[in-house]
Amino acid sequence: MRFYKELVKGLWAQNPIFRLVLGMCPTLAVTTSLANAIGMGVAVTFVLACSNMVISAIRNIVPSKVRIPCYVVVIATFVTLVDRVMNGFAPDLHASLGLFIPLIVVNCIILGRAEGFAARNTVLLSAADGVGMGLGFTLALSIIGTCRELLGAGTLTLWKDVPLIEHIPGFTPIALMILAPGGFIALGSILALMNNLQATLAKRAGKTIPPPVHLDCRHCVICKWGQ
Amino acid sequence: MKETLKLTFILTIICLIAGALLAGVDILTREPITQVKQKLHQKSLDEVLPPHDNSPVSDSVNVTHGGQDWTFYIARNQGQFAGAAVETVSPDGYSGEVRLMFGIGADGKSIGISILAQKETPGLGANIDTPGFKNRFVGLDLQKTNWKVKKDGGDIDHITAATISSRAVVDAISNALEAFNAHRQTIENGK
Repeated sequence: MRFYKELVKGLWAQNPIFRLVLGMCPTLAVTTSLANAIGMGVAVTFVLACSNMVISAIRNIVPSKVRIPCYVVVIATFVTLVDRVMNGFAPDLHASLGLFIPLIVVNCIILGRAEGFAARNTVLLSAADGVGMGLGFTLALSIIGTCRELLGAGTLTLWKDVPLIEHIPGFTPIALMILAPGGFIALGSILALMNNLQATLAKRAGKTIPPPVHLDCRHCVICKWGQ
Repeated sequence: MKETLKLTFILTIICLIAGALLAGVDILTREPITQVKQKLHQKSLDEVLPPHDNSPVSDSVNVTHGGQDWTFYIARNQGQFAGAAVETVSPDGYSGEVRLMFGIGADGKSIGISILAQKETPGLGANIDTPGFKNRFVGLDLQKTNWKVKKDGGDIDHITAATISSRAVVDAISNALEAFNAHRQTIENGK
């Protein structure tokens, strides 16, 4: 039961992008198309699940004073591993994703989940958290990517050669949407929409609106650990 | 003191394990990665070379022009010069280098280009790697064409909203052409 709960929380209730607002740099950088968003999401999900499991397994050995360097070593190892293996054995995938893989090292979702979850939970639960958060990340990137690609290029491509929508008749693409400002505009609008939706739903159910757990200072683990 | 030693020890052990793991992965993947690179190189050569019966990779000519080393891969039919391909790079892309393979025919016309590496903006500059743009470089007269984008008064139609990326491609080609023109005899004669 607990396993299931940790798995699904990343999708909506604690979505890393829309609720925790983590990993904004890759979010803005790679969401220019749906294919990119899905590719980045899959790569992050894999690294996140693996690093979560390893960090959870070594959580009792690693002294708290050097935990961050240890986590970074573990994460960087997995990222390099994925990069090399993909390059050698899945060259097509690597050709379209190669650019984003090194970006995963600095994706703060991974370190955030290591510090906030894997360091205090069992291997099994950490794996569930990693997969759930990764899927939530993929979902969020796909939503943003879909909006930006549709508005900015007028196309929608699921994968390299699988176009869903090739051309919208009578629609001139707004190039701004696939440039950097478009990323901020799309992310901001979707965030606002999500918050509004969540507030409306909570109101209708007669509940108070829950603040995002990790943005709430009372629950912040990082300060407590330092003491 | 004791704590410092313990911290150092644990961090060292973790780094050693990570290092060993990466070394293992490197040994396992080095061979396939080299093969993939060669295959890509071969593929782009096939795209921009005319039909030939020799092996352009082993039949290549190295020349120095403008302080740069150029490797021309020569295509031959029964010993006759049929065309050449050269890898050329422009550092002036919108975000970094644009690296491409340019094919030259024996009839003095361009055969085409194949983009090897680029990091241009997806949806805009990255469109230099689409057939629509690449086909603009097929069958152009090497000497008569003004190798500049239209905005700079040349003959090459650039991509709307991606002039810088288009210009980088054209620059790379015109550099390669300069080297080809200067060393034409050497290249056609081969080794």
